[in-house]
Amino acid sequence: MLRIKNVHKSFGKNEVLKGIDLSIDKGDVVVILGASGSGKTTLLRCINFLEKADQGKASFGEVDLDLHQAGKKEIQSVRKKLGFVFQNYNLFHNKTALENVTLGLTVGRKMPREMAEEIGRKALNKVGLSDRYDYYPQQLSGGQQQRVGIARAVALNPDIILFDEPTSALDPELIGEVLGVMKKIAREGTTMLVVTHEMSFAQDVANRVIFMDQGVIVEEGSPREIFSNPKEERTKQFLRRILPEYTYTI
Amino acid sequence: MEKYFDVAYIVTSIPLLLPYIEITFWITVIAAFWGTILGLLFAVAKLSPYQVLQKIAAAYTTALRCTPSIVLLFMSYYGIPLVLSIFNISLDAVDKSVFVLIAFSLQFSNNMCEAFRTAYEAVDPGQMEAAYTIGLTQLQAYWHIVFPQALVVALPNIENALISLIKEGALAYTIGLIDLTGKANLIIAGNYNSHALEVYLSLAFIYWMISLGVQKVFYRIAHIFSKGKRLLLS
Repeated sequence: MLRIKNVHKSFGKNEVLKGIDLSIDKGDVVVILGASGSGKTTLLRCINFLEKADQGKASFGEVDLDLHQAGKKEIQSVRKKLGFVFQNYNLFHNKTALENVTLGLTVGRKMPREMAEEIGRKALNKVGLSDRYDYYPQQLSGGQQQRVGIARAVALNPDIILFDEPTSALDPELIGEVLGVMKKIAREGTTMLVVTHEMSFAQDVANRVIFMDQGVIVEEGSPREIFSNPKEERTKQFLRRILPEYTYTI
Repeated sequence: MEKYFDVAYIVTSIPLLLPYIEITFWITVIAAFWGTILGLLFAVAKLSPYQVLQKIAAAYTTALRCTPSIVLLFMSYYGIPLVLSIFNISLDAVDKSVFVLIAFSLQFSNNMCEAFRTAYEAVDPGQMEAAYTIGLTQLQAYWHIVFPQALVVALPNIENALISLIKEGALAYTIGLIDLTGKANLIIAGNYNSHALEVYLSLAFIYWMISLGVQKVFYRIAHIFSKGKRLLLS
């Protein structure tokens, strides 16, 4: 469904991505792990053209394109196949929850308002916000905002939803509600590419885990392979730091 | 002997002044119109990725910000005909109001440029990115997301700029334009320069009323556009 090849990206002299290959099939839930600064977020942003990669190829279904040279039209068509959930939600401050969810339908896809609102309400119901349609983002808690963010992506029925550390800006007690929603849509068969520090999500929900370090993919495999039997020393080090209990299993 | 201060003059001069609101009104509206367009262009230039445009716009705003309104007015009134006379173009037949309009359009554009630029920069870039991710084009993202949010931020500055334009417009009398202030000076001259204070008080009263009206209008606009931001307003 999505294949990317040899993605490179530098910010000034700092080479953030050093040739990433990645492929995602329909129904996959792929989690990318890695320390801060390992390039996870940049990779996601390059896939969605929020950053322009210095080099790299991608194919979305039938469509092949160059991540560096793609034209406006191509970028637009790719973005319509991808959903994106931001770390800091980025809900539209001047729109209600329902308007946030429907804007991509009414304006982006020229769908009639009633039809869009029906889809929007369904999406908000799915994330447990059936009583918050007309609330503005500032009237919602962080967890609720992020759930609107997820509904905004889900409503567009994209081929893949990219999650960029969706729980990192949340208070610990609000993380659960967002992860719960993500788990739910994963179970419904949504294809997801998730950058997160939530190991439990990677262990329980992902069918593939990718470990990135310093701009390269160090190791990838099933959660069981990565968490119980990592092959690379760098993966082991990372897991030791992030999962205290892991120390005892060695 | 006649009193030095006579309230009667305040009352009688108001009806004499009122018709000249029209001149002040049109000077304000036309200068605000051209100033807004120019200000928008220079704001776009300042925000553009092109260094040349940025520098030109920066030089423009700096120069205008550092020029007193009255100096700018005289430069327009004496300078433009001088420059054009080099090309054998005579502006003798051109109305004084044109020079006033040019000066104040420039002045206003400077304020608007800064209002637009700061408002645009106040909107989180994440808003634009989110709009892209749901498949909006750049233009759609500006129209539905960035512009309405930036407007709310810009409104207080636009309001200030407009009120100061109305007030600075009073300087137009110095080159002989008969607007509100010009008429007030004529009335005073008609009184052999006595009772100036009373006339100026009625003039001040009229300016207060105009400014109050402007404030009311802006309050309404802010109310309409600050959806989702009520918490900050109240």
